[in-house]
Amino acid sequence: MALLSLTPFLSLAVFGLLAIPAGFLHFGKSKLGLAPFVCILGLAIALVSTVWLGFTSLSPVSFGGFQVDLFTLFFSGVLLIVAIFVTIASLQYMHEDPNKGPFFGLLLLSTLGMIVLAASMDLILLYVGWELMSIPTYALTAFRKRDPNSNEAAMKFFVLSALSSALIVYAISLVFGVTGSTGLTAIASSLSTAGPDFRPFGVLAIVLFIVGFGVKMAVVPFHMWIPDAFEGAPVTIGAFLAAGAKMAAFAAAFRVFIVGISAFNVDFYSTFAIVAVVTMSVGNVAALMQKSFTRLLAYSSIAQAGYILMALATPFTTTNVPLGLAGGLFHVLNYAILKTAAFVAAAAVATKLSVTDLESFNGLSRRMPQTSLSIAVIFLGLAGVPPLNGFFSKVMLFTGSIYSPYSWGGYLALTALINSGFSMSYYGWVIKRMYFDEPGDQSRIPEPRVYMAVLWAATILIFAIGLYPDPWIRLVQNAAAALVASRGL
Amino acid sequence: MIGLLSIAIFLPAVLAAPTFLLGRKNPKMAKILGVGTTVIVFAISIVILVVFQYGQAGFQLSESIPWAASFGLNYKVGIDGISLPLLMIATFLSLLSAAGSWDQITFRHAEYYALFLIFETGIIGVFTSLNLILFYLFWEIVLIPMFFFIGIWGGPRRKYASLKFLIFTYSGSAVMLFGFLALYAWTGTSAYPGGPSFDYDVLAARIPNLALPLQLAVAITTFVGFAVKLPIFPLHTWLPDAHVEAPAPVSVLLAGLLLKMGGYGLIRYNLLLFPKAVSVLWPYFTTIGLITMIYGASVALVAKDIKRMIALTSVNHMGYVLLGAFTATVAGVSGAVFQMFSHGLAVGMLFLMSGYIHEHTGTRNIDELKGLRGKMPQTVSLLFLVSMAAMAVPGFANFISEYLVIQGALSVSYLFAIAIVAPALTVGYFLWMLRRVAMTPPVGPKNELHLHSILILVAFLVPLLIFGVYPPPVLGSVIAPTVEKWVGPIVGLGAR
Repeated sequence: MALLSLTPFLSLAVFGLLAIPAGFLHFGKSKLGLAPFVCILGLAIALVSTVWLGFTSLSPVSFGGFQVDLFTLFFSGVLLIVAIFVTIASLQYMHEDPNKGPFFGLLLLSTLGMIVLAASMDLILLYVGWELMSIPTYALTAFRKRDPNSNEAAMKFFVLSALSSALIVYAISLVFGVTGSTGLTAIASSLSTAGPDFRPFGVLAIVLFIVGFGVKMAVVPFHMWIPDAFEGAPVTIGAFLAAGAKMAAFAAAFRVFIVGISAFNVDFYSTFAIVAVVTMSVGNVAALMQKSFTRLLAYSSIAQAGYILMALATPFTTTNVPLGLAGGLFHVLNYAILKTAAFVAAAAVATKLSVTDLESFNGLSRRMPQTSLSIAVIFLGLAGVPPLNGFFSKVMLFTGSIYSPYSWGGYLALTALINSGFSMSYYGWVIKRMYFDEPGDQSRIPEPRVYMAVLWAATILIFAIGLYPDPWIRLVQNAAAALVASRGL
Repeated sequence: MIGLLSIAIFLPAVLAAPTFLLGRKNPKMAKILGVGTTVIVFAISIVILVVFQYGQAGFQLSESIPWAASFGLNYKVGIDGISLPLLMIATFLSLLSAAGSWDQITFRHAEYYALFLIFETGIIGVFTSLNLILFYLFWEIVLIPMFFFIGIWGGPRRKYASLKFLIFTYSGSAVMLFGFLALYAWTGTSAYPGGPSFDYDVLAARIPNLALPLQLAVAITTFVGFAVKLPIFPLHTWLPDAHVEAPAPVSVLLAGLLLKMGGYGLIRYNLLLFPKAVSVLWPYFTTIGLITMIYGASVALVAKDIKRMIALTSVNHMGYVLLGAFTATVAGVSGAVFQMFSHGLAVGMLFLMSGYIHEHTGTRNIDELKGLRGKMPQTVSLLFLVSMAAMAVPGFANFISEYLVIQGALSVSYLFAIAIVAPALTVGYFLWMLRRVAMTPPVGPKNELHLHSILILVAFLVPLLIFGVYPPPVLGSVIAPTVEKWVGPIVGLGAR
C-alpha cells in the first residue's frame, strides 16, 4: 500500500525513459511524433496520482530518507502543473524540431528530479535530486544547438549551476562532519546539542547552503545568469527554469532550513530577510530598465523570489505553523502558474513576431487580443492586484512577516509592500504598450490555438484561486504543517 | 441568502460579460445594456433608501458569509448613515455618467461599458464593505477600469496620465495595505480572544486596547493610502493630469466617486478606528487639509483650461473633507460627509458640462470660450447655477456642508479662521471664469445641446437644490445619528 505513494515518481521515470525512443515513432505523416504524447501521459498519471494521494493518504509515508507527505505532494502538484503547461506549449514551439524524443524525455526526467527534491529528507538524496533536475536543464537550454544565444545561455547557466552544486556538496560534507549524519532529522537533533567548537563549521555550512540554493533560486547577488539564460533558452524552457527549477530549489531550501537547520541556534532568519529585501528591490528596479520582454520576465521573477524568501525569514515555534510559511508555499503555487503562463504568452508572441523586444508589444491588443488580455491578467496577478491569485499569497506572506518575533518584521513587510507597489510601474508599462500605444503594423495575427489553450487554462486558474482562495489556503496551511511535522520533534 | 446590497454590488459585474460579448458586434446593444444596468442598480439603491431605517446609528442590511475563514476573511457588507449618502451618489452618478457617455464615447463601446460596469461594482463595494480585505479588493477593482478609461478613451496625453494615475494610486494603496495587515497581525495575538480578524466591527472593538505607537503606525500608513486618493497637497499631482485627460464622463466618475473613496476611507477606517491616534495626529492632518484647500483654490485661479480648473476645484473642495473629518467634532464630520455628497454632484455636473462644451465648440480654453452665451444659452445658464453651487452660495447643498466644516473647525481652534480664505478664492476663480466665458458679448451661431443632454445636466442640480434648501432628510436623519454615535466618544477623549 505504501508503494502506491511512489506512483508519481515511477510514472515520471518510466515515461521519461519511454519518451526518448518514442520520438522515433510517428503516426502517419504527422511531424509531431509519439514523444509529446508519452510525455503528457506520464505527467497526467503523475498529477492524477498526486492529487489522489493528497486526498487519501493522511499520514506521511517514509522510506528512510525519502518521505512522501503533504509538503511533497504539494510541490509535486505545483511542479507537475508547470511541466504540463510547458509540455503543451512545447507541442507548438518544438513543432518543427526533429529531436522531439530527447526534448520531452529530458523534460520528464528533470521534473522527476524536482519532485525528488521535495521528497528528500536526506542530504545525499537531495543532492541526487538536485543533479537529476539540473543536468537535463543544461541540455534543454542548449537545445537549439545552432543558435549561438542558446549556447551562450546554456554555458553561463552550466558554469554557475555547477558551482552551486559544488557548494552544496561542500555544505553537505561540512554538515556530515559536524553531525555524523546526512538524514535531516538526525542532523536536527544533533545540531540542537552541538558544542561551541562545531559552531563555525555549522555557520559555514549554512552560508554555503544559502549560496548554493541561492543560485537556483536566483537571489541577488547570484542572479546574473537568469536574464541571459531565459533570453537564450527556448522560450518554453525559460518557463520551465523560471517556474519549475526555481520553485524546486525553494522546496529543497524549505526542507533543509526548516527541518534540518532551524534546530541550530543560528539566526539565519535575519540573513534571509536582508537577502529578500535586496533581491526584490534589485529585481524590481532592474525590471524597469529592460527592453526585452523575456528579460523583463526574468527580473520580475527575481523580484518574486524575494517575496518567497520572506517565508524563510519568518521563524516559528513548534506549536504553531507560521502564516508566513503557508503564505510562502501559496506564493510558490501562484507564482508558478503566473510565470509559466507569462512565458507561454511570450512564446506565443515570439513564434509569430520572431522578436520579443518590448517595442513589438506596442498595440498588441489589436493584433493578438487574447494573448494581450491574458498577459494583462497575468501581470496584474504578479503585481498583486485583487481578486487575482497573487494577492492572497502576498497578503499571507506579508502578514506572516509582521507576526515575526523579530523587531524588523514590520519593516520587512512594509519594504515588500512598497516594492509591490513599485512593481506596478513596469507591469503597467507593458499593459500601456499593449493597449494604449499604436501598433507599427496593424495586421491581425492568428493566435496559435495550443498556446491559447494553456493561457486560458492559466487565466481561469488565476481567477478561480483569487476569487475563492479558501480551499487553497487550507491546502498550503496543511502542507506547511506537514513540513513542520516532518521535523519529528 | 443574498441581500439587497450584494445584488447592487454584483449585478453590474455579472452583466458586464453579456455587455461585452453582445456589444462587440453591435455598439448600440452595449450602450443599452450598459446604461440599462446602471438604471437597474439605481432602482435597487432607491429600494435600499426605502428599506433603510432612519435615525438609527448601527449598520443595516448587513450580510456576512465566510469567504476564506481559514484566514479570517469574511464577505461582510452593510451600510450606515455615513455610507448611505455615498452609496446613493455612487449609483446616481454612475447612471448619469453612463447616460452622458452615450454621446461622448465614440469608439470601442463594448469594452467601455463592460469596464464601466466593473467600475460600478468596485465603487459600490468600497462604500458598503465591512471587512478590510474586502474593502481593499473593491478599492483595487476600481483602479483597473479607470486606468483603461484614461489610457484608451483619454485626450492627447492619455498614456502619461494613465500610467501616472496607476502608479501613484497603486503605491498609495500598497502602503495602506500595510496598515491593514499590521492591524490584523497586531490585534491577532493571543491577547485578543477569538483569533485574528479583518472584520471592521471586531477590529473597532479591539483597537482601544492596542498600544498607542502601534495605533499611530497604522493610522499614518492608512492615511497615506487614502490621502493619495483624496488627494492632499503634495501627493495630488496625478489628479490634474488624470482629470484633464480622461473623457468627460470618466472625469465625472473620477471626481465624483473616486476621490470620495479617499474621503470615505479617511473617516471610516482612520478617524473612527483610531480615536486615540487621531487625538495626537489631528493638528497635522487638519493643517494638511487647510493647505490643500488654499493651494487647490490658488492654482485653479491661474488655470487656462476649463477642465483643469474644474479638476483643481476638487483638490480645493476635498481639503474641506480632510479638515472637517479630523476636527473630530460632530459638525465637522457631518459636514465632511455631506461635502462629499454635494461636491460629487456639483463637480460631476461641471465635468460633464465641460465635455459637452468641448464637443460643441472644439475648445476648452477659457479665453477662447468668450461669448459662449451666443452659442449655447441654456448651457451657460446651467453653468451659472452649477458655479453657484460650487461656490457654495446659500440655497445649494454645498453651502450647508462647507458651513458645517468651517463651524466645526472654528469650534476647535480660532486659528482655523484662516480657512475662510479658501471659499473666498473659490468664489474668485469661478466668477473670473464666468466673467470671461459668460459675461462677454455673445458670439453666434447657436449650437445648443440636445434636450436629453440638458436633462442629464439638470438631474445633477435637483438634489443639490432640494438638500440645499431642506437638508434634514440627509443630514438629520441619516448622517447625524451615525456621526454622533461614533464621534461622541472621540470628543470625550479630550481631543483638544
